[in-house]
Amino acid sequence: MKDVVLSAEESAAIGSWTAESQGLALEILGKYPKKRSAVMPLLYVSMIENGYVTNEGMKAVSILTGLTAAQVQAVASFYSMYKREELGDYLVSVCTSISCFLLGADDVLAAIEDESGVPDGETGAAGKFSVEHVECNGACGGAPVVLVNYEMIEGVTPDKGRELVKWLRDGGPDVVSTEEMQQLFGGERAFDWGIKELEGAFLPIPAFGPYGSAKGAS
Amino acid sequence: MADLVTITIDGVEMQAPAGEVLIKVAEDNGNYIPRFCWHPRMKPAGLCRMCLVEVVGPRGRALVPSCTTKINDGMVVDTQSAVVKKAQEGVLEFLLINHPLDCPVCDKGGECPLQDHTVAYGPGESRFVEEKRHYPKPIPISELVLLDRERCILCARCTRFCEEISGDPLIEFRDRGNAVQVITFPDEPFTSYFSGNTVQICPVGALTAAPYRFKARPWDLEAVESVSMVDAFGSKVSVQSSQNTLVRIDGIDNEATNQGWLSDKDRFIFEAIHSEHRLTVPLIRKDGELVEATWGEALEVAADKLASYPGAAVAGLGGANGTNEEAFAFGKFLRTIVVTPHIDAQLDDGLDPHFLVGVTPRATVPDLETAKTILLWAGDLKEELPVLYLRVRRAAAELGANLIVVHPRRTGLDDVASHKIRYRPGTGPDVLRELIAGDGEYAAARAALDEGPVIAIVGRTGLSEDPRLAEAVAAFARDLPDGKIMPLAHRANVIGALDMGLAPTLLPGRVSESTAHETLEAEWGPLPEGLGRNATSILEGLRDGDLKALVMVGSDPVRDHPEPTLAAASLEAADFVVAFDHFLNDSSAMADVVFPVQGFAEVEGTVTNIEGRVQKVNRLVPGPGQTKPTWSALDDLARRMGGDLGATSAAALAKEIATVAPAYHGVTWDSLDWGAGREGMLVPVEGGIQHLEYIPVDGNLVSVEAHHGLHLGRVLYDDGVRTRMSPSLAPLMPTAQVFLNAADAVELGLNPGDDAVVRSESGSVTLPVTIDNSLGSGAVYVQANLAETRELGAAVTVVVAAGGDA
Amino acid sequence: MKILTERMDAHRTDSHTIERYEATGGYSALRKGMLDIGAEAIAAEVKASNIRGRGGANFPAGVKWGFLAPAKPAYLVINGDESEPGTFKDRQLLERDPHQLIEGVILTAFALGINHAFIYIRGEYPKPARRTQHAVDEAYQKGYVGKNILDTGFDLDITVHLGGGAYICGEESALLNSLEGRRGEPRLKPPFPAVAGLYAKPTIVNNVETISNVPWIVNNGGIAYASIGPDTSAGTRMVSISGHINKPGNYEIVMGMTWRELIFELGGGIPNGHELKAWIPGGSSAPWFVPDEHLDTPVTIDDVGKHGSMLGSGAVIVMDDSTDLVAAAHRMVRFYSHESCGQCTPCREGTTWLERIFNRILSGQGRMADIDLLLDVCDGISPGLTWPPAMTTICPLGPSATAPVISLMRYFRDEVEARINEEVTVG
Repeated sequence: MKDVVLSAEESAAIGSWTAESQGLALEILGKYPKKRSAVMPLLYVSMIENGYVTNEGMKAVSILTGLTAAQVQAVASFYSMYKREELGDYLVSVCTSISCFLLGADDVLAAIEDESGVPDGETGAAGKFSVEHVECNGACGGAPVVLVNYEMIEGVTPDKGRELVKWLRDGGPDVVSTEEMQQLFGGERAFDWGIKELEGAFLPIPAFGPYGSAKGAS
Repeated sequence: MADLVTITIDGVEMQAPAGEVLIKVAEDNGNYIPRFCWHPRMKPAGLCRMCLVEVVGPRGRALVPSCTTKINDGMVVDTQSAVVKKAQEGVLEFLLINHPLDCPVCDKGGECPLQDHTVAYGPGESRFVEEKRHYPKPIPISELVLLDRERCILCARCTRFCEEISGDPLIEFRDRGNAVQVITFPDEPFTSYFSGNTVQICPVGALTAAPYRFKARPWDLEAVESVSMVDAFGSKVSVQSSQNTLVRIDGIDNEATNQGWLSDKDRFIFEAIHSEHRLTVPLIRKDGELVEATWGEALEVAADKLASYPGAAVAGLGGANGTNEEAFAFGKFLRTIVVTPHIDAQLDDGLDPHFLVGVTPRATVPDLETAKTILLWAGDLKEELPVLYLRVRRAAAELGANLIVVHPRRTGLDDVASHKIRYRPGTGPDVLRELIAGDGEYAAARAALDEGPVIAIVGRTGLSEDPRLAEAVAAFARDLPDGKIMPLAHRANVIGALDMGLAPTLLPGRVSESTAHETLEAEWGPLPEGLGRNATSILEGLRDGDLKALVMVGSDPVRDHPEPTLAAASLEAADFVVAFDHFLNDSSAMADVVFPVQGFAEVEGTVTNIEGRVQKVNRLVPGPGQTKPTWSALDDLARRMGGDLGATSAAALAKEIATVAPAYHGVTWDSLDWGAGREGMLVPVEGGIQHLEYIPVDGNLVSVEAHHGLHLGRVLYDDGVRTRMSPSLAPLMPTAQVFLNAADAVELGLNPGDDAVVRSESGSVTLPVTIDNSLGSGAVYVQANLAETRELGAAVTVVVAAGGDA
Repeated sequence: MKILTERMDAHRTDSHTIERYEATGGYSALRKGMLDIGAEAIAAEVKASNIRGRGGANFPAGVKWGFLAPAKPAYLVINGDESEPGTFKDRQLLERDPHQLIEGVILTAFALGINHAFIYIRGEYPKPARRTQHAVDEAYQKGYVGKNILDTGFDLDITVHLGGGAYICGEESALLNSLEGRRGEPRLKPPFPAVAGLYAKPTIVNNVETISNVPWIVNNGGIAYASIGPDTSAGTRMVSISGHINKPGNYEIVMGMTWRELIFELGGGIPNGHELKAWIPGGSSAPWFVPDEHLDTPVTIDDVGKHGSMLGSGAVIVMDDSTDLVAAAHRMVRFYSHESCGQCTPCREGTTWLERIFNRILSGQGRMADIDLLLDVCDGISPGLTWPPAMTTICPLGPSATAPVISLMRYFRDEVEARINEEVTVG
């Protein structure tokens, strides 16, 4: 892990970022032998700043990593989690791959679409929700699986899906955590999770240390 | 050289170097394997899957892409099996399911690999009944290139070219899977200087060039091989016309030079040839105005006036934009008809002529393939000699050479440089001394220079730099391990012109005036005695009245001389000026007689590039109106003056060159066209020219420390007349600006975009400020050869101040 | 016999903490490996263990290590991009026992002379990534990672990297491209990662489960590991059981039991009184097994391979007699179409075409000719429809998409025909 000093151009590129995000950028750049490797984590930081992957965000990342903006766009657009459009406060992702499908995921998705009024692939309800179906999320033993801002809930039924939407709509926490939601809306899990940890996501970005938006829940 | 191994393809045994890719070995042996993504000048990508073949091994048959499979001894290959044919059919069916099949209106139709392969290897029909992919089409992705994503087969040739070859990845894949498309970033167009190459290598009509779009059908085209005359690199081209009009220039793969690539200026400059502003009839000045005249009238005026002066009162400038044969005729005209020694093809914007054509040991472009270390102390190659930039980039990025770039600011090659040395203009001599000493910050670069073979590419980093610095760098570099020198010249055929004796101190064939004077007199009769003036001295002579008349051949000193104000004053003061040109440029517009002449693609002849490589240019279209070849017009003028150039044709002149110009003995059109000279013939350096007097490093070459040191650097799209007359290129000329680093700007109270006044001894210009932190403190960069910056002249130091009404 | 899951089963709340890990023998293998037996011996034990990679390709890990080229720096990359439908074992290992992996990482890096390791975790796994990062931080604090580990002079940095959502990054060369900040497109091979991997330097890429076994192997010896289970399927392995099954979840098993035992005893059989119709023995890329032919086939790498499928990532997906298999096959094909990187023509165009033909059949627009068309499109991606699959593509993603189609047509063609006919009568 090395210390990173930014050039004037690089500093200017993220001059509008919060001090916290600028610090994250430095930390991330220090983790890799070559700065191009920092593209993906920096894109997450740009999403913290802008809510989604914006052209400005990609340009800033291109300057930090010595790439052209077209190269950053090539990377960002390859991966499904770098969203290119404004998202709701809660990104509700319903797994509809094979194991979840076998156990009724399509019905869960339909219930969530219906309850939220937001069709698959769209953002609605005044910016509250984005709803999407996603491919396998690696919780097949706890199918069907729903993620809210990438925080996972296993064993979700259509009715629980509706309750989840209501809960998010009628308030909803600043930080969503897999532990809390599993307790409220989940069913059978694929395996024991161990002691309860109140970390979670405050944005539709995976809540992981320097890359994302992990914060302790209140 | 890799060992040869024996492999069998379709029952035919053949030998090829171990490690070569199968697709190339097969093709070299007459077995063409269909392909889309593979290109011989790029790394294999293996993604179109069209070139699948079966390799028969002890464990059975395996289907492999022939573009990524390296051959090994005893390999047995089947390119015709049922499995291969099924795979080829499958790939073509897959490619066609989303292809729009709009061949009748596609530029590529008729020369399209997708069409051709479909006929030869494709299925008879498609079973795809779903809706095809749709995109808005075509979309312009730059001023020059349009993109049709529906036609695109995603072979990535274009994106790989940009990343691998030209180093400006402005187009890239976007999205994933079936949604993948080639595209730019939203507000960053495909402004590469090399974008046209992607059009040429696109295997479908996805990328098309605005200048060619809908101009012709491929089967209507006529074509000749030729050499680009945009710069002194000598890229091989295919010039193509339809109905006597040039419509396209493509690169031809000459291993020794361009390896198939061109700059966009090489490719699209042809538009100027058919410009409505071309000169088509002779002009003579009457009552202060240039008016149309007959050839007879114009020749009479010119002949009478030129004959009225003592020969030594007449001078000649130019000849560097035409062929060797034209330059030779120009020199012979001046030396034997006018009888003047005042001749210069350069405009004091280059290097000493003896150094340019005489320095040894001399590096060739192919030497870059084996160089271990390259010292580049010259102008920004991307701007000045873009295809040489590609070759140096390849040496550094692909072949692993150490590249040391010494320049006042960032250059196009900095990204692949192992060492970058930036200095304030004027302090080059000190930097050289420090580099030679190898102390401190230059230690690593100096150490790299001990790894040979070393090639030093030397030239003037900018027009205000002392040309002797390049010689001093060369003097240092040629003593390095296996050190070789590549001196740079810029203008199209300037080396050829010098080789034809268009310098006061040179006679045709790379010989000095002093040593070859008598030999040439034996052929040509009496020659003027004494050494002539160079360009600056000629202009001064005209201004001061020591010289009376000037003959210009394709020369524009008012634009190109580092001191344009001197040039303008000189032409104004001259008693009589004759110009042979394609256009009325800033200088020929001041002439008394102007002869309209033919140029690139209209004449045949030879040109000589920076290496001394002679190549043939060919004729494809007639010149407009009453234009004549320059040699013919000069011969007409000579006859009017009672002489004779003995020039019945360009070919006849070429034969005379081969006789009287020592270095050109044996250079024949036959050989260049059909013989061993197809990749060009290198003319020797040794054998006539005297040794060079290098500037000693500790001598009188001193640094100038004053603020601000001016870097007057060339740009590719300068406001030369041909750029201005090419509708597609003219909009690409950059806005004139003054570049400063941020701290200097703050000190001067300047913000980006503010107007700043830049003052030199010659004059002052007002330019908007741009921050460029690659410039050191006290350094200022201004683009050379733009109308807005011309008044500045080639000052070493300038004063920069906030602009405004004051 | 439990190797990987013993601690987490015994300590259901805190098996992931360093306190519990150390209290239950954790990091003892590290001391043994680094201080007692040394780098060469670690590599020798792993080779002797015969452990085969648990990511899906089942390549012997010790042999893979042997391919590492001598150039420096070299890198170790842990593949935690677990994305094969049906698979969720690495998630459990990362969440419940990250130190077991980290100890394996340190031992592996030490054995191979590597000073920087990366743990690449799929983007949709923030919780496993948090737990892993936390454990890495603890290991740094304890001096197991960082400078001069255990005073041996050996330095190691571990970077936890989160993916961005792309199944293809589970393919090791695509993962390396992704880790370099590129599109996750598989690379041409050769060169293999062991010669030119991350940043074109020699790189070992191993799966989470594979490396989690290394501490046990070092502590107990390679021979002990090799003696567990059948010869060519040595050791224990994690299987993830999902779908129509009474007891879904991850199970650490010794290979060699029959599928009947695995589904009906371990997995508790089919729920709600339904019958078993088909199952997928190794992730959705694996051809299906059916009760009539495969229930008594042993669960070993070789036996499954001999019967035309693969144990792959160890993901068993069970489908009962209520399953609409045309829809199920479509769902799997859709996955590969969505996840195709788009480089190779046959995969980019072929997987999407397959999906669209299925869409047509499911929406009542199917034609009988579509059955042959589906198989012929598969043939264009995987010539001859053989097992193991031939490929017209760079990586196996495209051919994976053909597995459900071929299986459907092989065992349940009548259901497809009925589907097409039924919809035709209705329409």
